[in-house]
Amino acid sequence: MKEKLEAMKNEALEAISKANDSSSLNDIRVRYLGKSGEMTLLMRGLGNVSKEERPILGKMFNDVRGEIESALESKTSIIVEQEKQARLLAEDIDVTLPSTFEGFGTLHPLSKTKKEIVDTFLEMGFTVDEGPEIETDMFNFQLLNVPKDHPAREMQDTFYVGDEMVLRTQTSSMQARIMTTQKPPIRVIIPGKVYRSDDDVSHSPIFHQIEGLAVDKHITMGDLQGCLEAFAEKVFSKDTKVRLRPSYFPFTEPSVEVDVTCSVCHGKGCSVCKHTGWVEILGAGVVNPVVLDMCGIDSKEYSGFAFGLGVERIAMIKYGIPNIKLLYENDVRFLKQFDK
Amino acid sequence: MLAPISWLKEYVDIDCSVDQLVKKLVGIGFEVEEVIYQDKKVNNVVVGKIVKVEQHPNADRLRVTQIDIGTKTIQVITNVPVVGGEVVAVSLDGAVLANGQVIKSGELRGVLSEGMLCGLEEVGLSEGEVDNQKKGDILRFPEGTTLGMNALQALGQDDVILDVAITANRPDCNSIYKLAREVAVCLNKECKNPHINYEVSKDAGDVSSLVSVEVKAPDLCPRYMAAGVKNVKIFESDPVIKHRLRAVGIRPINNIVDITNYVLTEIGQPMHSFDERELGGKKIVVRKANQGEHIISLDGKDNVLTENMLVICDANKPVAVAGIMGGEESGIKDDTSSVVFESAKFARDSVRRTSRALNLRSDSSARFEKGIDFASQELGLKRALTMIYESKSGDITSGIIDVKVDYKTVKDISFTTKDIKNILGCNVPKNTLLNILSKLGIETSENGNVITAHIKEDREDIYGVNDIAEEFIRVYGYKHVKPTLFAYAPLTKGGKLPKIENVDHVKDILVSMGLSEAISYSFTSPKYVEKLGLDPDTKLIKIINPLGEDLSVMRTVLAHNMLEMLAFNISHFNKKAKLFEIAKVYLPNELPMKDLPKEEEKLVIGMYGEGDFYDLKGYLDGLCYALGVEPTYAKKQVSYLHIGRSASISVCGKEIGVLGEVHPDVADKYGVDEQRLYIAEISLEELFKCTESTIKFKAFSKFPPIDRDLAVVVDKKVVAGDMIAAIKSGKIANLATANIFDVYEGDKIGKDKKSIALSFTFTSNERTLKDEEIQEAMDKILSLLSRKFKAKIRG
Repeated sequence: MKEKLEAMKNEALEAISKANDSSSLNDIRVRYLGKSGEMTLLMRGLGNVSKEERPILGKMFNDVRGEIESALESKTSIIVEQEKQARLLAEDIDVTLPSTFEGFGTLHPLSKTKKEIVDTFLEMGFTVDEGPEIETDMFNFQLLNVPKDHPAREMQDTFYVGDEMVLRTQTSSMQARIMTTQKPPIRVIIPGKVYRSDDDVSHSPIFHQIEGLAVDKHITMGDLQGCLEAFAEKVFSKDTKVRLRPSYFPFTEPSVEVDVTCSVCHGKGCSVCKHTGWVEILGAGVVNPVVLDMCGIDSKEYSGFAFGLGVERIAMIKYGIPNIKLLYENDVRFLKQFDK
Repeated sequence: MLAPISWLKEYVDIDCSVDQLVKKLVGIGFEVEEVIYQDKKVNNVVVGKIVKVEQHPNADRLRVTQIDIGTKTIQVITNVPVVGGEVVAVSLDGAVLANGQVIKSGELRGVLSEGMLCGLEEVGLSEGEVDNQKKGDILRFPEGTTLGMNALQALGQDDVILDVAITANRPDCNSIYKLAREVAVCLNKECKNPHINYEVSKDAGDVSSLVSVEVKAPDLCPRYMAAGVKNVKIFESDPVIKHRLRAVGIRPINNIVDITNYVLTEIGQPMHSFDERELGGKKIVVRKANQGEHIISLDGKDNVLTENMLVICDANKPVAVAGIMGGEESGIKDDTSSVVFESAKFARDSVRRTSRALNLRSDSSARFEKGIDFASQELGLKRALTMIYESKSGDITSGIIDVKVDYKTVKDISFTTKDIKNILGCNVPKNTLLNILSKLGIETSENGNVITAHIKEDREDIYGVNDIAEEFIRVYGYKHVKPTLFAYAPLTKGGKLPKIENVDHVKDILVSMGLSEAISYSFTSPKYVEKLGLDPDTKLIKIINPLGEDLSVMRTVLAHNMLEMLAFNISHFNKKAKLFEIAKVYLPNELPMKDLPKEEEKLVIGMYGEGDFYDLKGYLDGLCYALGVEPTYAKKQVSYLHIGRSASISVCGKEIGVLGEVHPDVADKYGVDEQRLYIAEISLEELFKCTESTIKFKAFSKFPPIDRDLAVVVDKKVVAGDMIAAIKSGKIANLATANIFDVYEGDKIGKDKKSIALSFTFTSNERTLKDEEIQEAMDKILSLLSRKFKAKIRG
């Protein structure tokens, strides 16, 4: 019996070592260790063995089973690994084929520009507000120190929709709305659409402005310049310089036009800046005390600054867009260029 | 404002280059829009003397001339009958003429020609702009003109003219004199006063012998001055005067008219000259017109007046529309012998309104509309009399008529240097401040720390310390202002309005789903109402003065512009587009509007070329998902959408918009016939009301979920969404999700039938569910479906 057991063991181990896939290993397991396998058949002979030999043989049977099982196990792990390797090799793909990503959409370049500007002022403690585009003469003009028949009305070609109602010509109308309803400290920017009856390569009858207003105790022209420098550095480039030039707006006094160094040539002079090195980007000034008083804020106690910038102009400078009409055609080939 | 530098030099010594002058003017707030060099209209056109004329050997009509141009003699072929000794203008090889023609040396019928003789047109001038030259002829110069000289210079066209933008607060600077004072300030020079020098004639008598003045409307005419000249001689003005007028675009007429125009430009005071013979009753009455009164103006136009217009009348009838234009009859004629000069201040809004209403414009009305101060009437009148006197144009009567309202001549503004510093944020050296104000013609006095500025009537724009600060800093220079970030003001907390935050969020979501943002005009053609089949009674806000019919109403929907954008992209070779726009629509409460309209923020999505209804719906689902809103959809007929493929979308039980495929007839109206267009328009305001932004953790099951599928056959008309809704509201125990994963129609199912495959997931937080429980739930679902939708299980 011992010999038979030994022979079976050797036969099984031999078969295991020769096996080269998981199904033949399974066959071997069934053949030798299965319910009606060879091991079971041999064990039936144990009944004929003497009492003394039975424990010894029993142990031998257990040892042989253990030996075959561990051989099966180690061979199985080798074969599983081999089969996995083979499958991985067979699953080779061309990684240069395109993915399913089709790109994101894009914000309109005007929104993108607006967002950058708004974010800059948010960081400086400004709130962001908005207001009506159809506006009363009172808020669009009169409270901004532009009474009826004032020549400054000629500066802007106004669309009228009623006796006392206009399409706002400037987001400055919100200055009056905010100052008549809020108490200082006020630090707010107001982006929005404005309307003027101008239509050419650099003017659109509808365009976007961002109004800025700060009213508090002790606000100076220097603070205006500081804010605008921070804005220009962020929106254009770190080396951008800001220059104030005297100008006139009825609702600010003193009033300035603000130039920045040309973002194309960095102030050296090029065709974009007409070889001056400077590009005009916005109008601003110290809030006219007359306006503060009209809006119910005591000009003896408070001062402020205000500015209004054209988003189109800044987007056109920033991205080198040659014609304002491109911004309103919404050609997907145009829009796609701003999806980064 | 056109300002010839030669004229400015009458008042101030300009010793810097034009470029420097321009920079300095810009620095103090006077933007120079253009610098016009008169002699640079053309180049390489010079003065030459014809030294020899011969017949062209090969052409009867042509002559071969030798022309001395100073440095050399050139040969020019011409068909003009010139003779030796004439001094002419000749363009040289490489010259570019006013019409763009380029002159090249070359052979003409076998003989070399090195240039071309030029006339007015070739050098960019027209008849009347220079003296003694005729249209259609070549230019000819007097013997002795320097040969080789720029022909334009030889014509006296050698000025440099600045086109200066004058801001609305400085109407006084629409004059050579006041602009010269600004030039003097920026160059740190002295500015001369206008030259006044005349004597009245003893024999001419008093002005009252010519005219008396009565002002009946002092509100519209706060000051009216008049002076008289007798024994007037009419002749051509001095060349300098004519040159200057032409340089600023005014045509010289005769000495009297030229004087009024000269004073208008130099002093900024519009003047008018009347032929005294035409002033009936020797009277000037300034009054409002009678309704329907007529006057024929100098330009020959018959004007019908209304009662709010100001007119200058004689004893009987209007002789001028105040500040705008004189009447034809009372104008200066060749035989005029006595003249009455008017120098008045008319209210700018009155002049503006009348000028608009009559469509009558002049240099005078343009000037009045900008505003005239009280100081310039007298100065202008005296300057005019000086020119009469010095040009010996007539005998000046004694006395000047001056009818005026009471007005304050000087106003005082008191301040300290600290006040100025508080505005500007920079140091204000007192002496510099006083010096700058003095240069600007503003007198000051001091009392301790307090400075008082005495503002004269010519600076109506200055009324407070902020104005003083501006006068100071624009001359001192903004370079002295140092940037600070709220140096003295406390910090504030920034942030966006929730609504703005929401809109920005929506944009980000849509962009991340592959949609691109578009921006279109808020006004459009009223035709969109009909194009989209909207209610013809839709209340539209009309623009009173639109740029055109196509841009004349404020939109009430966004779909129209979106369809136009899609059509634009299709016609511009773009195979696909997925766009959205977030903008306002304008909804009046009533028409005509009594209060501001409702401006409602809406979202429109439009697409073509890729995707279908369900992709469009997917974008709305994605948007709602990200905002924590659960949308429901229902079939809905919309005038501009496909009858079988259009739906409404609702959130929180409220319909917020529509979506669908665009009706082919509507697409056709936008010029789209091949592509299927998809469009959705929803109200963001309503969507945001429903937005659930708070996220709260909910426990989820630890036990395995159990999935079941079910396929049922129903009538084709049954809407899948209703089935899901019925199941969800059917209180099925432990049902976590119910979805549709397939819809099949075909012969196997039967006509007018469809098969719908549903999948369900059951879970419990407490235990693993038993088969029997699930079966019970599935039975309940099936019986519910067969009861409500006559569903039969698919065999």
